[in-house]
Amino acid sequence: MKQLVLTPRGASRIPVEAEAVSPDAVAGKTLEEVKALPVYRGNKAFSLSTFFDVDGKVAEAAEEQHIVVDGDAGHVKYIGKAMTAGRVVVQGDAGMHTGSQMTGGELTVTGSAGDWLGAEMKGGLIRVLGDAGNQAAAAYRGSSEGMTGGCVLVKGSVGSEACSFMRRGMVVVGGGTGPFTGVHMNGGEVFVFGELGKRAGAQAKGNGGFIAGFGGAREVLPTYIYETTYTHTFMRLYLRQLAGNLGVEEAARFIDAPMRRYRGDMAVGGSAEILLAEKE
Amino acid sequence: MMSFTHNGVQVEDTFAEGFSMWGSRIIITAASERWANTAASTMTGFATSVIACDCEAGVESTVAAEASPDGRPGVAVMVYGFSKGKLAESMLNRMGQCVLTCPSTAVFNGLPEAEADEMLDVGKSLRFFGDSYQVKMRVGDGWLQRRRFWRIPVMEGEFLVEEKLGAKKAVAGGNFLIMGDSQGATLRAGEAAIDAIHTVPGVVTPFPGGLCRSGSKVGSTYKFLKASTNTPFCPSIKNTLKGSKVPEGVNSVLEVVINGLEERQVVKAMGVGVDAATRVEGVKWITAVNFDGKLGKFKMGLRSSLEGI
Repeated sequence: MKQLVLTPRGASRIPVEAEAVSPDAVAGKTLEEVKALPVYRGNKAFSLSTFFDVDGKVAEAAEEQHIVVDGDAGHVKYIGKAMTAGRVVVQGDAGMHTGSQMTGGELTVTGSAGDWLGAEMKGGLIRVLGDAGNQAAAAYRGSSEGMTGGCVLVKGSVGSEACSFMRRGMVVVGGGTGPFTGVHMNGGEVFVFGELGKRAGAQAKGNGGFIAGFGGAREVLPTYIYETTYTHTFMRLYLRQLAGNLGVEEAARFIDAPMRRYRGDMAVGGSAEILLAEKE
Repeated sequence: MMSFTHNGVQVEDTFAEGFSMWGSRIIITAASERWANTAASTMTGFATSVIACDCEAGVESTVAAEASPDGRPGVAVMVYGFSKGKLAESMLNRMGQCVLTCPSTAVFNGLPEAEADEMLDVGKSLRFFGDSYQVKMRVGDGWLQRRRFWRIPVMEGEFLVEEKLGAKKAVAGGNFLIMGDSQGATLRAGEAAIDAIHTVPGVVTPFPGGLCRSGSKVGSTYKFLKASTNTPFCPSIKNTLKGSKVPEGVNSVLEVVINGLEERQVVKAMGVGVDAATRVEGVKWITAVNFDGKLGKFKMGLRSSLEGI
């Protein structure tokens, strides 16, 4: 892969909207053309080189492009937005909408990510080694479907309304979640290894969707009915994948763990599941 | 009769006549080897020959827990049918009656889509047993190979089955006959052959323990019977039957029948089987069954099978 290094020229109090920080946006261009790609601050357009030192090599195709954002980019929005292939690594924080609507490739944030991480994501893999803000892997306001594919891995915690209107795909949270995790979800898999926030799965319909909690839950909505406690064969597949392929080491501890099964949200006639590991 | 010698045993220079069938492979896992084996042996019961069974089936191999899809002990089972439809029907019935009912089991596809000619909706059909309480399970959407499963509630817990099972045009009817000077020697040679054959991936031997003591011929003296004992190879009537094919000094014959996903795998299995059998003292002759090439699509020579090992 060819590596392009973008070094942020300091922070900005006004966020910078930089959809240009994506393998799809830069592939096939010359370095000069990449430097001139438009980014926005407020209602004004600037060139990418206004906010980043640009160096390295540009690939012909997105799948061969590796972009490194070498420094804190917490003020930069839309990094990797709608990317289809290639790799982006942010060496520090990333701003809002990171990896939103992406369909392929791999995006890694070594720090924390802002709100709307992987919103309406369709494919690919996002890893955040720190925390993520609110509405991670969620639907944008007004959309009937949120995440429809791909995998989001957050080592730390996420804020409220993570995975809202989720339809397919996988979200793994190493820490805890804020309220309304998986609100309106209609499919997809959510794994939470910290404490599951309040009102998880509210208005969830089902369609194979579930929220698996391994660190307890603040509450389970009364519209979720407890069924029984047993060791789920299907959960072994996910947990082995998490431990073996995605580096979620704590998953291995729960492979044989019995889990409490709740079905709901009965308020909407749902058949989604909340599965809570029994305390060890 | 043209022949050659292998390990000091006369091998007739002939071929096994194989024909085309549809084959599929599934992996059955369970809480322990005991229950994986129980499910596999139950599912592959009464599946020796399509002469009177709905399919031909057998255990291909055991699957170690570390290598199985869910980390539990498993068994690879193969099923063969004359058509896609027949195969799917047999698998549905057998999985429904013999695996779903067996404690702790789960079923995974053992023939990936890339290697299969068709993906059969067997798990998808089996899901209706869940009576609307079945749950769809998805894996890999948008970032890994997409797979679909069904979780069916059962009294003991939950039965997990993969939605689609791979099937492909395969080869049935690989065979060879072991002819020995006594029943004991022939049986020992048969056992050695089966042990060797099971080191070859992609094949099964559907008959009991892999051995068939009553090879069959098409038709009989009775109008109502379409198949009967293979009289030309029955030593007990070799001197009174006109046209007996039992050589001098042979007093017992066993047949090994091999089905496989690929012709080359069946040929290899024949080769290693014949090689193992001919190392047993008391084995006098090896031959194979064919219909002069008139019925089957595949002609798998004994000589070429031994050259390939």
